[in-house]
Parts: sequence; C-alpha cells; structure tokens
Amino acid sequence: MKLTVNGTSHVVDVEEDMPLLWVLRDELGITGPKYGCGIAQCGACTVHVDGIAVRSCQLAAGDVSGDITTIEGLGTPAVLHAVQEAWIDLQVAQCGYCQAGQIMQAASFLDLNPTPTDDQIDAAMSGNLCRCGSYPRIRAAVKSAATKLKGV
Amino acid sequence: MGRVKTIARRSFLIGSAAIAGGVAFGTYLYKREGTNPLLADLEPGQAAITPYVIIDANGVTLITPRADVGQGAWSMQAYLIAEELDIDPATATLSPGPASAIYYNGVVGAEAMPIAATSDSLLARTGRGAADVMGKLMGLHITGGSTTVPDMYDRLRMAGAVARETLIKAAMNQTGLPRDQLSTENGCIVLPDGLKLEYIDLAAAAAEIEPVQDVTLRDPAEWRYLGKPFKRTDMVAKSTGTQKYGIDMQMEGMVIATTRTNPAIGGGLIGFDAETARTMRGVQAVLPITGGIAVVADNTWRAFQAAQAVECDWGPSPYIGNSADQFAAVAASFEDDMQDSRFKDEGDVAAALEGAEIIRAEYRIPYLAHAPLEPMSVVVRLTDARLDIWTGTQIPRFVQANMAKLTGLDADNIHVHVLMSGGSFGRRLEDDYIHQAVEIAMQLPDTPIKMVWQREEDFTHDFPRPLAMARAKGSTRDGKVDAFDLSIAAPSVAESSLARLGQPAIGPDVAIVAGAWDQPFNIPNYRVTGYRTPAMVPISSWRSVGASGNGFLHESFVDELCHAAGADPLAERLRLCWHDPSRKVLEAVGEMSDWGSDPGPNRGRGLAFTLAFGVPVAEVVEVTSTDAGIRIDKVFVAADVGRVLDPVNFEAQLQGAVIFGLGHAMNCEITYQNGAAQQENFHVYEGMRLYQTPEIIVRGLENGDRIKGIGEPGVPPAAPALANAIFAATGQRIRELPLSKQIDFV
Amino acid sequence: MRTLLIGLLLATPAVAQDQASRAVGLAAWEDIFAVASHPRCTNCHVGDDGVPMWNELGYGADAAHGMYVHAGESRVGAETMPCRTCHISKISDNATPHAPPMIDDAWRLPPPELAWLGKSSEEVCAQLRNPDTNDGFAMDGLATHLETSAFVAWGFAPGAGRSAPPGTLDDMIAALDIWAAAGTPCADDP
Repeated sequence: MKLTVNGTSHVVDVEEDMPLLWVLRDELGITGPKYGCGIAQCGACTVHVDGIAVRSCQLAAGDVSGDITTIEGLGTPAVLHAVQEAWIDLQVAQCGYCQAGQIMQAASFLDLNPTPTDDQIDAAMSGNLCRCGSYPRIRAAVKSAATKLKGV
Repeated sequence: MGRVKTIARRSFLIGSAAIAGGVAFGTYLYKREGTNPLLADLEPGQAAITPYVIIDANGVTLITPRADVGQGAWSMQAYLIAEELDIDPATATLSPGPASAIYYNGVVGAEAMPIAATSDSLLARTGRGAADVMGKLMGLHITGGSTTVPDMYDRLRMAGAVARETLIKAAMNQTGLPRDQLSTENGCIVLPDGLKLEYIDLAAAAAEIEPVQDVTLRDPAEWRYLGKPFKRTDMVAKSTGTQKYGIDMQMEGMVIATTRTNPAIGGGLIGFDAETARTMRGVQAVLPITGGIAVVADNTWRAFQAAQAVECDWGPSPYIGNSADQFAAVAASFEDDMQDSRFKDEGDVAAALEGAEIIRAEYRIPYLAHAPLEPMSVVVRLTDARLDIWTGTQIPRFVQANMAKLTGLDADNIHVHVLMSGGSFGRRLEDDYIHQAVEIAMQLPDTPIKMVWQREEDFTHDFPRPLAMARAKGSTRDGKVDAFDLSIAAPSVAESSLARLGQPAIGPDVAIVAGAWDQPFNIPNYRVTGYRTPAMVPISSWRSVGASGNGFLHESFVDELCHAAGADPLAERLRLCWHDPSRKVLEAVGEMSDWGSDPGPNRGRGLAFTLAFGVPVAEVVEVTSTDAGIRIDKVFVAADVGRVLDPVNFEAQLQGAVIFGLGHAMNCEITYQNGAAQQENFHVYEGMRLYQTPEIIVRGLENGDRIKGIGEPGVPPAAPALANAIFAATGQRIRELPLSKQIDFV
Repeated sequence: MRTLLIGLLLATPAVAQDQASRAVGLAAWEDIFAVASHPRCTNCHVGDDGVPMWNELGYGADAAHGMYVHAGESRVGAETMPCRTCHISKISDNATPHAPPMIDDAWRLPPPELAWLGKSSEEVCAQLRNPDTNDGFAMDGLATHLETSAFVAWGFAPGAGRSAPPGTLDDMIAALDIWAAAGTPCADDP
C-alpha cells in the first residue's frame, strides 16, 4: 500500500482496516498524531488528508486517497505555520498531548473558512478535547492565527 | 549562551580540562551530606556543579527533578535556576535527572498533617519542619500537592546562585581579578574591560574547586525572568509535534504490548484462551500477568485487536460492586466508631442548634477518573542485572523500590528515566502500569517493550477520586450564620494509595476533610467531622485531592446558610473571614464580578471560596438559565499564591483548573456495576468542551506570607460556585454531582 | 410481491378502487412514516440550523449531536468541522459503539427542506410526495434512490447495537410502491 505523508511516499504492508493513526505512528515512526480515545471523541490523532482535518484513528489505511499531512509536515520549530506561531505566542499548551490535534484542526478550519465568527470557531474546535483546559487560549490563538493568515 | 561552539574551542576544553567527573553545583551545605547523584554518570568534560546544574562543552544542562505533568513544572524549575545562574533558559538543555533521595520533597508531607495553611503557630512550624525532615529522611522524590514551587523556590535559586558564584570564583582564579570586578550576563562572566568568559569554558576550572556556599539570592526587584510572563521552555515542541511522551518512545528492536485485566476490579484471572489471538498478524506472545493477560505484538493496533480476541475467564470483584451499595456503605459510616477526625470544633454546635431552626442538607459526590489524554504507557527493558524504565511518573523512587521488590534487582540497578506526561491529574502517582510492563519484561528479557493501554483499559482501571457524602446541619441568628456542622464520610485515599507505595497510613486521613476543616471563617459554632468508610475499590489522589470534593460540600452549605440567614453570600463570608489574604481574594472577586449588581433576567451569580494547598481562591460563576438549559457565561477568579512567578502560566493554570472543576461537576462520574467501572471512554465522561467554556477572568494577589503552587487550588471552588449560581438563577438547589443528573447544560 | 400488490389494486372496480386504494396507500404511508420518523433518519433529516441529533444512541431524549457539530449551510460542515473529519472510512463494519458510523458515501445532511425531525405524519407525507421537498424525485426515482443510497442501507443496519427502523429496506420500498400506486395519499388530504 502506498501513502504520501508530508510530501514523502511510503510503501507499507498493513491490513486494509488498520487505522491510519497506527500506520503513521508504528509503521512510519511519525508520532506527532496521538492516540487518545480510538473512537473520534478526542481529536488528538487529527491529520490532514488533502488539507481536510481527519481523525486518523477513524480512517482505514485502505481508504486513504490523498496526501497526508501531519503536524510534523505543517511546520517545524524552524519554520512555523501561522497557527503554530499563534499557539506559541499565546502559550496555549499545558501537557500538550492534545495540541497537535488542536493545531491540525485549526489549520484546516482556517483554510476552509478564513474569516470565521466566534461561534464558528467554537463549532470547529469542539471536537477536540483538552483535559488540561487550555480552551480559552485555543480560542484566542485561533483568532490570532486568522488575523495573521489574512495579513499574508 | 551559544551551544554551537567552534571545533577549536571544544578541542581546547576537552584537551586541557580532563575533568573526569566534572562539575556539579550544590546548594545548601547540609545537602552535601548526600552524594550528588550526577557525579556518578558524568561524561568526560562534564561538570555537575550542583545536583541541578551540569556544564560541558555543549552548554548548560539544568536538572528539573519535579515531574512535568502539564503544569509547566520543568520550565518553572529551569527559570528558577536560570534566574540566579544568569542564563537564558531557552538555551539550556533540561533533564529531569535520576531518581534520587537528594531530590526529596520537603513540603508535600505537611499536606498529610492537620496543619492549617493559615496557621503560623509554633506547632504548625514544627509540623512543617517535620515534613521537611521526613521528606529528606525518606528521600521522598515525589511530585504532587502543588508543591513544586514552594519546595523548589529557594532550593533551585540557591543552586543557580552557587553555580554562578563558583564559576565566578573560577574566573577570579584565572584572571586574578577580585569578585567585585566581575559580573555575569547570559552565560558569561563579564570582565571590567567588557571581555566575556563563557561558562562552558570555565566549567573545567569550576569542577576543581569547592563550590561557593555563602551566596545571597537576588532581590526580586532585580529579577530578569521571574515575575514576568515566561516563554515556557516546552511550548515550541508542544506546538510542533516534537515533544516526546512515553507513548512516543521508539527503540531498536522494540516490541509493543497491551494488557487487559479484569474489569471487575481485583477480580483476578481464572483462565484464558488465546488460541485465536496467537494466530493474529503481528502477535508475538500472549502472556499471563497479575489479574489478566498481556499481548506482545509488532504494532499497537495489532496488540489492541489481539487483546480483545483473548477470551478471559474473570473472577468476581472482592469489593462492593454496585454504585448504590457503595453509597449505602458511605451513608452507613456516619457513626461514632467510624469517626476519623474532628480537627475543627469551635464554639458549641450542639448548644447553638438546640432550639434553633435547623437547616439540614445532604450532599453526595461521585467517584471520578483522572483520564489524562495520554493513556498509561511505559517503555521497559530488563537485562540480567539492569532494569530501565522510561515513562511519565511523579514517583521515581517509589517506582525503583517497588520494581526492586518485583524483580529482585537492587534499586541501584533500576534506572527510571522520567518523561513528559500527557496529563496526569494524579494518575501518575501510581505505578500499576509500570508493574505490568515489568511483569512482561520478566517473561521477555533483553527486549525493549513499550506497553500502551487502550483508552477503555485506562478508564476501567483507574484509581478514582473517591465518592463522598456530607450531612450538614446549621442555623442562623439575627441574619447571620451562627452554627455550621459538617460531617463528611468517604473512604481514605491515604490508606489506599500509601499501601501501594509500601508506606503506612498513620492517624486520621486529612484528605477526608481537607478544604473543609481548615477554612478561615469565624463561624461562632463551627464543626467539621470526618468519618472513614471502610476501603472499597482502590482510590487515589485526583487534582486537588480531598478539597476537590470537599469544596463543594463546604461551600454549598455555606451558601445555603447565607440564604437562610437572608445574608449576602459575599458580605457574610467577608464578615466571617479572619484571614487577611483570604478576605482580599473575596473582595477582589466581588469587585471583578460587580457582585451585588443586577445580573439580568434568568441569570445568576454564585460564589465559592476554598483555601487549599495554602492558596485562598475565590470564584464567581455567572450563568443564564435558557430554554435549552444552563449556560455558563463568565467565571471570575482571584487567588493568592504569595508571589506570582509567571503571570501567563498562573492564568493558564487557574483557567484550566476552573474548566477541570466545572467540566467534571457538569457531567462526569464513575459508577460501578459488579465491580466494574461503567464509563469506558470520553463519550460518557466528556467534561467541558470548548463551546461550553465561559470567559474566565483571573486576578493574582500577592498578600500571602509564603509562596505557593497553583496547579490544584483553582479546582475546589468551581463546582460549588456553579451550583450556587444555578440556585441564584433558578431557585433549584442541587446537592449532588454531577449536576447533569438534575439539570441540562447548553 | 411488489407487482402482485399493484396488480391487486388495479383489478378492483373504479370507485371502490379509489377508496380501497386510498386506504391501502395510507396504510403503506404509515409504514413509511414509521421508518422516516425513526431517529436513524431524523437524526440527519434536520432543519435550517443544521444541527444533527444523537437520539436513541444512549445520550438521552432530544440529544443534539455532541461536540457542538453544526453542518452549516453547506450541510457538510465546511464552515466549521466537516462531517468527514470523523465519518471518513468506507472500510468499516460499524462495530464499535459510539464511534462515528461510516458509509461508502460522503457523510452529509439532507437539504433543510427535507427536514423531518419533529414533524407530523401529514407534514412528512406532503414533503415526500413533492419533488420540491423530496430532493427532486418522482416516485419511481425515489424507490431507486432508496435501493441505492448508502445512507438508507446503513440506516437499516447501523451496527454496534444502534436501533434500526422497523422492517427492512425491501418492506420500505414495497410500501413506497403501494403508496405511489395509490396516488401518494396523505391523511389530511381533502
């Protein structure tokens, strides 16, 4: 089976029904996407497929059709994506375990909807759980990133 | 300080220094009685000037021995050292260091003593001193109880100052200049002519001399970092997917395991059939472990699938297995012979209630799971004479001791490598998951094994926050609260969790009444009694421990009595409060929330106050009662930790604590059926999501006389402030958590 | 069966046939409505607000889809969180309770004019026979749609212990044929 992740193609030999999350983490060693619940309740595993945020614990490897981007491919410590920059500026993370998923969700959302209302931000980000309670800073960071992205 | 050094300089340093052992900087003289644990493992060219600072050709490594489970503890510890050492913490490498007695916690023991945080009596001071001695004697290398800052505030700044002064001494030796002509700046000693000597170039010389011990800490007015907004050292990694947690560890030859133990807690395994599982792709072994089975595979998902395919014959749980029976056992504990404590008994409650119109209430709170978002995970590798453990843990030395017992190895041969935890909330004060992984390793030696729990396993094998009930009686007089008699019954966390750490639990369990018995109010007749319910399912500490539920029990009833007296809940608390820092947080939250103004139709404000972990916190919650249910609009928080070291993280911790408190109060409980927890994943244990999150406005005050931690104290007042707000908006008094059993939330 | 029933209807005398036809048609409609009003259908056949429901899934009565999901004007959540963020795989036996159900089609809400949630039998009846409010279908097209829709197929076999509407897809199509042959009567027709 062939997958393109962060611009690199990989050939993997896995079951059709293995969730993409475990292909990324265990077969390809890409650990930015996290396992939190396995049933799309928490969003920690969020990646992009052709730019759309997807819960990688729900996407079977055999159903992947499109380029995959993980948090590692969104931006790096040296070259940050605007959403990551906003996350750092606003000091969002606490334990940080959910944040890769939060950031991937936010990046895809702002790509689809660059001028969101506050209520749309709430709706876009409420599928991602944060047990530490970083939500107020997530809200602020999404708004800040939206402004930043508009300026580009 | 630049970590990229020229080849020439590196060669010079290593070539000329030859400091086998290097430099480690120590702090107080008496601590040098203990061996600096860093000296044993130093590489050539490294200097460990104290147990907290290593310097080598590559730069400065700061040892941050308190675990980081999300509160930014590593970053905070680095800043404390860096402030005195004069380096930019962003340029340092951080390491949690080895498990060592020298990293004992001198503060946490006091939380287990019935010493009011507001007391500065001789007895209180003696007790706190005893906690320090006890922590030191026991080598209590433990993180918890919001103690990192109070315990490490002086110690780490001292470590930084000692390292700095020792480097200066080395520079004095090298240059012949006197102390008063040398200063430090960003990893360098600055000479009078402006020339700079880098710390890394002085490390070798510093290693050769006795660390300077008589150092003076800087005046806070001179601080460069502390007291101002930090950039947390972990923020870039956590925003780019590069932060490694235990679950992310990868090693050559590593296999992946998952376990399934009896969902009926403590029920044990009678037998199992792994025929199907063993034939599944990638499965390498199905092994018995205590109470269940482990599957070893080449991929986490394959391990999960195979674990589900093992047919297990489970035994029955030995504990009271159903929620109704558990609450019945708690209800049956309000008996004289089960009384655990009565630390608060002022005035004469019986006499005051005699003939008065008695207000009575009964409250109940449920078991709660920790459910950190990173499920329990650990990597272990056992060879003949050595066990390595990589995981997020708050108790590295207990892990050493417990795994020594399990494997028969010397504790010295057990190496605990502490990693960043994806949350904890107290869960990583337990080592059950490590025990399981080591059991697997004993059957599969010489192989690195990563064990990861499925979320369902994590929920159903937590050691939850205990359930509790309270029976309250009170009366009012002349429009004032006159008598307050609160009885709380719960199983003992200390009894349950200390036994797992191999420690005795002596005397009453303060946690049964923490956050209730020690509140700074002069109610004329004021009594708080704890009753101990005999042990049921094993339980443990949960963010803010006893106060997490007792805040609700105490503050709901204070609110009820205020209303019964016809008194304003804020004015009455202020009238009764004798502790100045506590009064000030109450006044602050009153001002912030415009308390007393008309909140508008269908709206209400609720106030609650809890002093826990030495931190007075007052919260006002504003709600609107809509057709679809209660909407939480705003929360105002005022808290006093004595000194706010990082205003950004201070705000973040309080916002997080409020969300943690509100979310669980809204809709979370763990219930049991036949000994098994019935909540297996987040769809039935949701807490708060972003759309429900109110605006949370935080103010930090600095009137307290001792510096305190802020990870936990914001939790206890959130639930009662919400329940009191619901009462204010709707007239409905809810005395049981979660509130969703009786009211809907938008 | 389908042919037989239609044949029987056609074989009766004209006037009686009208009445009988209407009665049989209305009876068939009730069978259709029993399906259309089932939460497996009405959870998605919702109105303008675009909020799907989680009724009869163990979350209590009148439960909105969790996570503040709003499908928006796009009806696929493009403005906020796309449906496909979670409902993404074709390869799924839908065996995990409380995990998002999956089908071999893009998960989405029907247009708002097809909203059935909370509506009476008469209202849904009027909607379903009108191409303006049934997604543009004539009756035979509607039957074909039911036969081929991945949504409808999933609705009858939702997996993981989720409740399913009464009867089978074949029953539903048969009832639709009868109702159509009877002139798509609704109970409140004059």
